Amino acid sequence: MKLFSALLLTAALAVSAAPARAGLSISAEVDRNAVEINGHLYLTVNVAGDSASVPEPKLANMQNFNVYNSGRSQSISIINGRIATSVSFSYILEPRFLGLQRIPPITVSDGKEQAATPEIEVTVTKAGQQGGPAHQAAQPRRSGRRQAAGTAAQGARQIFIKAEPDRRSAYPGEQITLSIKFYTSVPLSSNPQYVPPAFKNLISEDLPPVRNGETELDGVRYAFSEIKTALFGLTAGGAEIRPLSVIAQVPSNEPVDPFDPNFFQNLMAMSGAQGRSQEFATETIPLAIKPLPPGAPAGFGGAVGNYSITASADRSAAKTGEAVNFSVTINGTGNLKTVAAPKLPELPDFKVFDTMSSLDVKKEGDVISGKKTFTYILVPRAEGRKTVPALAFAFFDPGAAAYREVRTNPVVLQVEKGAEGAKSVYFNQPAPGGEAVTASGSDIRYVSEKPGAAALPRLAARAAALPPWLHAIPAALLALSFWLARFNRYRSANPLLFRFRRARGEASRDIQEAGALIKAGRNNEAVSVLYDSFLNYLSDKCGVKVSALTMRKAVALIKERFPGAGERALEEIRELWTALELRHFSPEASAAEGTADLAVKYALLLELLEAELKKP
Amino acid sequence: MTKTIFLTLTLALAAAASAYDRSELAEFNDLYKNGRYEEALEGYKSALAQAPENPWAHYNAGNALFRLNRLGPAVLNYSRAFALNPRSADIRANLDYALRQTGQTLAPDNVPKALHYAYYLLSEREIKAAAILLFWLACLAGAARFLLDGSGPGLAAGSASLAAAGLLVLTLAWLGARQSSPFTAAGVAVKPGGARMLSGPGENFKTYASAPEGRLVKILDDGDDNYYEIGLPREGIKGWALKTEIEKL
Repeated sequence: MKLFSALLLTAALAVSAAPARAGLSISAEVDRNAVEINGHLYLTVNVAGDSASVPEPKLANMQNFNVYNSGRSQSISIINGRIATSVSFSYILEPRFLGLQRIPPITVSDGKEQAATPEIEVTVTKAGQQGGPAHQAAQPRRSGRRQAAGTAAQGARQIFIKAEPDRRSAYPGEQITLSIKFYTSVPLSSNPQYVPPAFKNLISEDLPPVRNGETELDGVRYAFSEIKTALFGLTAGGAEIRPLSVIAQVPSNEPVDPFDPNFFQNLMAMSGAQGRSQEFATETIPLAIKPLPPGAPAGFGGAVGNYSITASADRSAAKTGEAVNFSVTINGTGNLKTVAAPKLPELPDFKVFDTMSSLDVKKEGDVISGKKTFTYILVPRAEGRKTVPALAFAFFDPGAAAYREVRTNPVVLQVEKGAEGAKSVYFNQPAPGGEAVTASGSDIRYVSEKPGAAALPRLAARAAALPPWLHAIPAALLALSFWLARFNRYRSANPLLFRFRRARGEASRDIQEAGALIKAGRNNEAVSVLYDSFLNYLSDKCGVKVSALTMRKAVALIKERFPGAGERALEEIRELWTALELRHFSPEASAAEGTADLAVKYALLLELLEAELKKP
Repeated sequence: MTKTIFLTLTLALAAAASAYDRSELAEFNDLYKNGRYEEALEGYKSALAQAPENPWAHYNAGNALFRLNRLGPAVLNYSRAFALNPRSADIRANLDYALRQTGQTLAPDNVPKALHYAYYLLSEREIKAAAILLFWLACLAGAARFLLDGSGPGLAAGSASLAAAGLLVLTLAWLGARQSSPFTAAGVAVKPGGARMLSGPGENFKTYASAPEGRLVKILDDGDDNYYEIGLPREGIKGWALKTEIEKL
């Protein structure tokens, strides 16, 4: 039984809802706060969110209750474009222990938000303590513990299992109720394990809770547990309920030999603490799924059952561009999960947007019933009195073995002219309050008519296509300017060195200038040029100013700085200096030939000095 | 003078903008709008033959291929459009959408969106162009700094040169980081059903994995005539795939 409840819970959890959005909330309530140990109570968990789907709540593992999923009902409302979804999950709880029992907090999470209910306390009393009739027949859940009429079971089967469908043939979608009963007339060592059957060409829907009771068969008193399942055939043809089994610990009936060396062990086994494991299984039950008769109406979508249909709008007056919620509800008995939305007729006066459905399933009296609501968003295009015509819904009634068609009443809307801004309606757009947008689907974005690459990528393409050697130009410019800057700095830092190196060139140019003056007959000026040039030359070579330079000092400095200079060179300096000084300060003494000789002598002296000054 | 430069730039930009035939894409978009995706695709291909650098022709071709349920070529075209214009929200959205259809994502879940956007703010070509521009700026400003040695303008030129050099280093680092992008040296498995991965470049080697259609793969070696050596970084495997089954980005 424990396994059965776990299986039910697992199946319920496996049908996990889509991720929720913001605004998640959860609440839980029980139908009463006190229950007898052999009774049950209903736990209703409401999960609300502002998206089209909300996640399923997560029940904590409750050791003090057997939990059965009892269905769910969903409602979706769209108000001013805002979707609000509320889903009620129903569970049946069977207490397992007396006293104050707690239902731990039930949580729900959509991955972003989490909500939880407070803990709920329930008082479990002994059977018969509460006033009023019990809600359920006697429930020997652990039937093995009960003292069934064991002595009367001699000669009859002590434990057996029966699986009985309420009918052997049905139409596709018609409910077949399968009853699985496990009988025992002896105490069991532990709770039996239930292995549910597999089905062929059938889908199943559990019908909780598990019924427990006692009955007498062939004079033997049995305790039994009953599980019911609703089955629906899928297609015409054969269907099967495959074997199901129950594994139970059956106590041994062998007498205990007091002289047996294992006497105490056998005695313990007799006391019920031990037993042998035995599996009880049913046979395969064949079923026949009959084909639906011919003559289905045009709008028949495969619904089987007995249904009624209603349609309504959330308002009777609207403006153009405003969203109106138009709901079509199908109510009745049958497998509503497979009922498809009725097709809306052409509505030229409206834009029709997405369809959402909500399902409310009930399992009262072991019959699957409920209602399914399809909500359409209609946006009136033009003002006036607009009518949504009657919608037809066709189904097959298995009770009457005939097709039926039911219709809604036409729904009339009085449409007034809306504001210009209301012409474009996005029903999923957040309300002015600023709620989050709920996407109802996704797709790729539309093609573009943009003309091609923008300016930046095109410029980038051109820059990247430049030949690599071109980029050497700025690098070369940088290197050249760097060298020039270094050179200028060096020259500024060493002026004497550059005067020394430059002296010869300047003196040569002066000699040329003097020669030109001589040719022009301007001897005095030529002598002045030669005299100044000679002093400048010596000044540059000695590294002192011209004004501070005398012949003796010049000769002394040359001897000091250039020890390799010979006496002949020094003597030549003295002679040229004296001759130039004489001609410079006695212009009348300077004849043309003498001046030219001085120029030649100066040139020869330069050659000599350049050679002498390089000597180490 | 300023007016003349402005007018010249405006005319140059206008000329650049009119380089692609706007009406041509619009004409094919009409086919797309009417559900004639094959014909629209042929049109986009002809536009791409004339202007292979047009990201919107790639984007529209990706859309047509997506509608034709050819996810591999759709991812390829979106990826090419993304490589050319990574700032477009439309291109990003559709590439991400197509990648998600194949179990991939454009931006890893653990990376902030802003960081991912910044990482792909410029295309590789634009980063290279920026690096070239900064190189020129750094060199020329540096040359001015040396030529105007010691003067006020020289110091300003030196500062500009250093700033440009710093930006150049950052740009080169960005370019280097982009080499690890899934869209660099990459390809897309375009064969329906996926590309076979062999243990060597030939049919006599064992097939040991397959890259699903639309999967972005790294192209490790394209030296062989018929096979690419490809890698699947997420799975940490590599192999050889026919060049007809993998399309290079």
